[in-house]
Amino acid sequence: MTATRFPRMAERGGLALRYLFLIGWLAICIAPVLVMVLGSLKDSSLFQSIPQLFSWDGFTWANYERSFRQGNYAHFLRNSMIISFSALFVVLVICTPMAYGITKLLSARTRNLIVFSVLATRFLPYVVLALPMYLFFARVGLTGTLVGVILAHLAMQMPFIVWLMLGFFASIPNEVEEAAVIDGASPFGVFWRICLPMVLPGLNASAILAFIISYNEFLFAFFLAGYDAQPLTVGITRFVGGADVGAQYGVVAAYGTLIILPIIVFALVVNRYIVSGLTAGAVKG
Amino acid sequence: MSSRRNFKPWAFILPGVIAGGVVLGVPVVQAFWTSLHRLRMYRMHDQVFVGLDNYARLLQDPLFHLSVRSTVVFSFGCTILSVIAGLAVASVMSTRGIRGTSAARFFMAFYLVPFVATQVVVGMMGRLYVWEPEYGLVNFLLGLFGADGPMWLISRDTAMWATIVTNAWRLTPLAVLIFYAALATIPEELLESAEVDGAGGWKALALIKLPLIRYHIGFIALIQLTSAFREFDTVFALTGGGPGRTTNVLSLLVYNEGISNSDMGMANAISFTMLIIVAVLSLVYMRLARLGDLGN
Repeated sequence: MTATRFPRMAERGGLALRYLFLIGWLAICIAPVLVMVLGSLKDSSLFQSIPQLFSWDGFTWANYERSFRQGNYAHFLRNSMIISFSALFVVLVICTPMAYGITKLLSARTRNLIVFSVLATRFLPYVVLALPMYLFFARVGLTGTLVGVILAHLAMQMPFIVWLMLGFFASIPNEVEEAAVIDGASPFGVFWRICLPMVLPGLNASAILAFIISYNEFLFAFFLAGYDAQPLTVGITRFVGGADVGAQYGVVAAYGTLIILPIIVFALVVNRYIVSGLTAGAVKG
Repeated sequence: MSSRRNFKPWAFILPGVIAGGVVLGVPVVQAFWTSLHRLRMYRMHDQVFVGLDNYARLLQDPLFHLSVRSTVVFSFGCTILSVIAGLAVASVMSTRGIRGTSAARFFMAFYLVPFVATQVVVGMMGRLYVWEPEYGLVNFLLGLFGADGPMWLISRDTAMWATIVTNAWRLTPLAVLIFYAALATIPEELLESAEVDGAGGWKALALIKLPLIRYHIGFIALIQLTSAFREFDTVFALTGGGPGRTTNVLSLLVYNEGISNSDMGMANAISFTMLIIVAVLSLVYMRLARLGDLGN
């Protein structure tokens, strides 16, 4: 009796400690963002300590006003949205059938070869792609266009999304499709009407992850987009890079908040899909 | 079976293969081809074949050596830190009483914040509000314990550590998520019978749980290593490669050489060297883990 009771009591005391640990990690995850958001609502010249950020002294919206006016937030937001949505659309249209086709390959050798190349390209250093694209786009006049950035994002996303969708398609039992074929469905019909609806959660996860990755992407846009095609990530570096950064903590914070907060709130709302998408890519079953 | 043979999988695969060839294959070949030439951005028509000359120059360049060293320290630092933190958080989350509860789901949602946070903003946030020596968050917290924090990003001795911690912060959520999911696949009966045999708590973690998820640990380590290896955004916004060149990782060196110095041949030689390093790393990993064990 005692042998079973003692561990239980120790477990309960341990439970509080374990929750404390998890709350501590939660604080580490959100504290930097919280500090920046509070800083964005302060007169820059007043930022002198962390506790002072929590008081109402020096409260102002001026940093946001400057981000919209001088920082041209709306223009860059528009580019970010066009790039992210176009990239995710193109990526899904190409990668979903591809992943489906790979799971239907009869030869295990060919299948492994393709899966291997998808995995290998997933680890490509992005600069390897960015430099030749920079040269090529300069030659054909795609530098500084949205099309160029979208193509670069296609390259960046393809391996990841194919890998993700592979896991979802592989989980469909063969009998389902065989039954559909016996009922007279065409190969495309099987894919479109039978299999696609079955991987809808995976499709949602892919779309959400692709959007987040594109929205946050900086390197390709920095190399390839001129002013007209710049997304928010490049916009903020050009905006605050030109002036004395130290003197305008508040404006950097406000602009940063305008970029980071929408995507964080979005991720919190759809976190279920992010969790399922990322786990499907790495954990069996 | 005949129904399977009627299928034409290539009709579905081919568009992807072609698109991949154009946006991934062509740039990689072009990168290697350019690395064999002397090519200046402002004299694009003047492309001279120089063979492996750029690579020879590279091997003798002290800046390249410096970058290789910081990249190795940075990548391994980020990987080790994020895998350890990920294991710690995931293990606690998957203990009895927390695993599967709505509290666990709540925590997981917020643990994703660093993962979805825009990297350049994370860098700027780190520079202005976290690592700032006088007012920043880290030194404020150290001050609460009476410690006088270092200059972090300004000092050559500490800049790399702050950069590693910042990027590991961003990488850890993926590790937490995957390890938590992997730990959940361990059958409860196995842990119960182990407990009866006297292996509970820490012992179960070290002897049963961690060995069972070793492939996931290996896979995540590879993902973190390769993703830290190619990192550009966070470092660029956080330190810009400084102070001095202490945090000038290879991706930043490629930018310095290619865009700032417009030495495209050299820049492509560096980036192609990076590609070879990643390929070797992945091959070593696949030898160790065998591809068949990777999820699918």
